[in-house]
Amino acid sequence: MTDLLEVRTITKRFGGLVAVDHLDLTVPARGIVSVIGPNGAGKTTLFNCLTGFYGVDEGEMVFDGKILNDHTPDQIVRMGLARTYQNIRLFPNMTAIENALVGMHSHLTTNAFSAALRLPGAVREEAKALSDALGLLGYVSLKGRESFLAKNLPYGEQRRLEIARALATRPRLLLLDEPTAGMNTRETSETTALIKRLRDDLGITVLLIEHDMRVVMGISERVTVLDYGVKISEGSPLEVQKDRRVIEAYLGRGAAAGIGGLAAQ
Amino acid sequence: MIRADLRQGVRSGLVLGVVVVSLLFLGATTTLSTLIGEGLGVSPPAGLVILLLLLTLWIGAQSARGAHHAELPILQAAIRGAVAGLSAGLIIGLTTYVLIAIHDTGADLRTYLFQVSPAALDLWSMERTPVTAALFHLGISTAGCLLGVAVYRLFRAARARWTLTGRLASARASLAQRTGGFKRNQWTNFALYVLVAAILFITPQRLNNYQNFTLGTVGIYVLMGLGLNIVVGLAGLLDLGYVVFFAVGAYTAALLTAPTPHNLMWNFWLVAPIGIILAAVIGVLLGIPVLRLRGDYLAIVTLGFGEIIRVLLKAESLAGFSNGPRGIPSIGQPSVFGQPFNSDRDFLYMIIVGVVIVIFLTFRLQESRVGRAWIAIREDETVARAMGINTLSAKLLAFGVGAAFAGLGGVLYASRSQFVGPDDFVLMVSINVLAVVIVGGMASVPGVIAGAFVLKGLPEILRELEAYRILAFGALLVVMMILRPEGIIPSRRRRLEMHETEASEEPSLAAAPAAEAGGAP
Repeated sequence: MTDLLEVRTITKRFGGLVAVDHLDLTVPARGIVSVIGPNGAGKTTLFNCLTGFYGVDEGEMVFDGKILNDHTPDQIVRMGLARTYQNIRLFPNMTAIENALVGMHSHLTTNAFSAALRLPGAVREEAKALSDALGLLGYVSLKGRESFLAKNLPYGEQRRLEIARALATRPRLLLLDEPTAGMNTRETSETTALIKRLRDDLGITVLLIEHDMRVVMGISERVTVLDYGVKISEGSPLEVQKDRRVIEAYLGRGAAAGIGGLAAQ
Repeated sequence: MIRADLRQGVRSGLVLGVVVVSLLFLGATTTLSTLIGEGLGVSPPAGLVILLLLLTLWIGAQSARGAHHAELPILQAAIRGAVAGLSAGLIIGLTTYVLIAIHDTGADLRTYLFQVSPAALDLWSMERTPVTAALFHLGISTAGCLLGVAVYRLFRAARARWTLTGRLASARASLAQRTGGFKRNQWTNFALYVLVAAILFITPQRLNNYQNFTLGTVGIYVLMGLGLNIVVGLAGLLDLGYVVFFAVGAYTAALLTAPTPHNLMWNFWLVAPIGIILAAVIGVLLGIPVLRLRGDYLAIVTLGFGEIIRVLLKAESLAGFSNGPRGIPSIGQPSVFGQPFNSDRDFLYMIIVGVVIVIFLTFRLQESRVGRAWIAIREDETVARAMGINTLSAKLLAFGVGAAFAGLGGVLYASRSQFVGPDDFVLMVSINVLAVVIVGGMASVPGVIAGAFVLKGLPEILRELEAYRILAFGALLVVMMILRPEGIIPSRRRRLEMHETEASEEPSLAAAPAAEAGGAP
């Protein structure tokens, strides 16, 4: 399987703080890869680097053979790399359908002139976009919510709308930043199933930041563990779970020794 | 459900009642009735009836509006309308009865309410007995409110084709099955257009020069308000130097058509597009450096640019180019087929045409990919970029389009008043236009129009109040911002934003995430 995304020893510093430290990471095409780590490990910083919000200080990020460094966020999303946010960032005072339509922005061509004159092409395009957006909302089970303001939707639906908006950009790689944070068990399993469907039905590669271990273990094929910006472990979910350094990072050295001792017995 | 209807109806009715009674106390009913009477060529009593009908229609339409833009069952809407009309009618009727009864005893009410003259009361009661007059006003409120409900329903049917919600509904409907409703909508639409066109054509004919001039000024502010509405209301860029583009349009027209200082004397119809385009170009050029700033910083920088323009125009050193503080007199005026086309009425017609074109453009842009990009930038610029929107070019486009509208306003202003000077382009103009947008309702086209009428038209009407004019006006603005912070006619979006508790029948959703997070194992 070829790699869709290849991160080659990137470093991001904020003053003296090294948020991401010589990180290597590959995401195979049509794979689901998770990034986990304690708070402040640099996971979201990694996402911000990939989507062009932060410039990296060293290293290269290669997406589908093209180097991402030095591209602006709008160029990167046009290359096929979309994301969601840890703290939901919808357009709160736009309706659900409008949020999805904004996601389609880069695939539409209507400009001020064709919109003002309502040229046949623009009318056709808008009608198609509208029906596509309806389809997308249906796909994430938001049928009937089209005309609700995004901020008036319940929490779980806001999360799904954010995924729909990201899908509207027609990504090949989707970066999901804690998609199940704050969800109850049922919502979590629904979202997990949705992520699986994204890959299986739509062929979208997924890179996931997640704290919920059931989600991580349930759907990811590979897991990368970060701590203080450094990759401390990588492998299948089972391998990572047993890794001593991972347990240390999460629970501290003493606890790790205790658990290690238990495991040895 | 019925209790909610009653409450909603009474609430709307109270507003109407208080508005009408205050108008009566301020003596504004007489003034407005006379104005309407003169405008339409009917007697003042007929003008009064029209005034009351307009007010009640408005309240009736308001009361018939359902939460979440759901279509209320027609019966429910009618109940709300009737309750609103009756409760307003009770207030107005009682006041009328008391006032007329006192008036009939021969007492002069002006001791207490100095605007309530015997003549005003005679007009108000149509010279009938207290009971008849009270019943008359009760009847007219109720009938007007019910009529308002009906008009609102028709309007909604017509609007279904214009807005996204409407198109969405029709997209869904056409997916399900094509209904006969679509055709009827088209006809209602057409009828509405014809009606509006007729009113716009006839009104200036019926008004005198002063009234046409005042309406023209209102129209120029509508033009500028609509332009700033794109910049501030849609794209969320607070521009406090908007007067720059108005000045560019006006000075372009002045310099190219006046005998001094350049003696170019070009034709108005050639100069008008030049002024508009030049304003747009200046808008984009100004935008390139300043649009990298966000929020307050942008406001401060644009404020500075606004002052720079005025100071440059005033500069003695540039007097050879712009006539400096003396300004430019004898600006050229348009003619049509050799006939001069320059009365206040002709200019009003031109301004109306300009406003109609600008409204048309605004609606089309707002409901397109371009408008969505602007709103997305207003909502969250960072995320808008991450959605593939080139934010800089979208913001430049907003600045350019907004500037073009102001440029048109400037051209018409200069040519109409035949004189421009640096002092026509002070900071207060920017502030006034911003106030038009905010008072009317951000991102709402009808709101901007209403705002311009209230801010530029109302002071002229209130001229009757002389000394109290500015006081009354200021009080009105304060009350308005407290009672209706989202503007007179808010956009659908803003209404949902500010009055969420009233608009939504759902339990508060803001609390939901916390509850869910807490409830999770």
